[in-house]
Amino acid sequence: MARMKFLCDADRCIECNACVTACKNEHEVPWGINRRRVITLNDGKPGERSVSMACMHCTDAPCAAVCPVNCFYTTADAVVLHSKDLCIGCGYCFYACPFGAPQYPRVGNFGSRGKMDKCTYCSGGPEADLSVAEYEKYGSNRLAEGKLPLCAEMCSTKSLLAGDGEMIAQIYKERVIKRGYGSGAWGWKTAYRETIAI
Amino acid sequence: MRQDDQTRKTDKTRKDGETGLGRRQFFRALGGGTAAAAAAVAAVPLGSTEAQAYDPGNAETRSRYRETDHVKAFYRTNGYETLKK
Repeated sequence: MARMKFLCDADRCIECNACVTACKNEHEVPWGINRRRVITLNDGKPGERSVSMACMHCTDAPCAAVCPVNCFYTTADAVVLHSKDLCIGCGYCFYACPFGAPQYPRVGNFGSRGKMDKCTYCSGGPEADLSVAEYEKYGSNRLAEGKLPLCAEMCSTKSLLAGDGEMIAQIYKERVIKRGYGSGAWGWKTAYRETIAI
Repeated sequence: MRQDDQTRKTDKTRKDGETGLGRRQFFRALGGGTAAAAAAVAAVPLGSTEAQAYDPGNAETRSRYRETDHVKAFYRTNGYETLKK
């Protein structure tokens, strides 16, 4: 059985934020919520790195472990999904997640939170596949359409990989063998000389 | 001795009042009643109000991933040699 995974090739990410924009548009994510974000380390310095981050669909998900209403479930594709009908917006999963994936819409004044929203790996929720109710709550279900998450498919530099974990790991290994990694990669010494090594 | 006799007399007077209970017996009886009430509450079955864990059906957790031509094209364009073998 295939296990769905994301893998961001940090040597290729140019922080264009196309993955963030594509995700927001595809799922009509509410204002103030980003299911995916691009994190930049050493911004503006030699050796700068950007990584596109979203829910990593953990095997032993800490969000599911702390949820007081057990609204999380893992599909056969190893995608961690949740039911917005059960979610009470308590915020425990936000504190438990090491990636900051769970987000909450602001539904009123005084800091009141709505139902949690996070990356669904473009595979909807507990409602019927490709139904209107599913789209309104969780966004589109591209996996059921025979496609992959749009963030990865949109990536112009082919930095963000998604799909069967074994397959994308193989793709990444081939890249590393071909071009090297970090300061060993092709073009690194031209850009940064030999003074910076990662 | 006279003072003790007086106290006993007073207690007897109170016991013989309308309730038929002495001061100490009254609180003893009240305490026993409270314990009995607490036991009765604990004995009430909670099955009807117990929270149920979310049990997603097979339809929700089934595999949706399919290696379609669309997906194969993604793998092919992202890898140097993938799917060429």
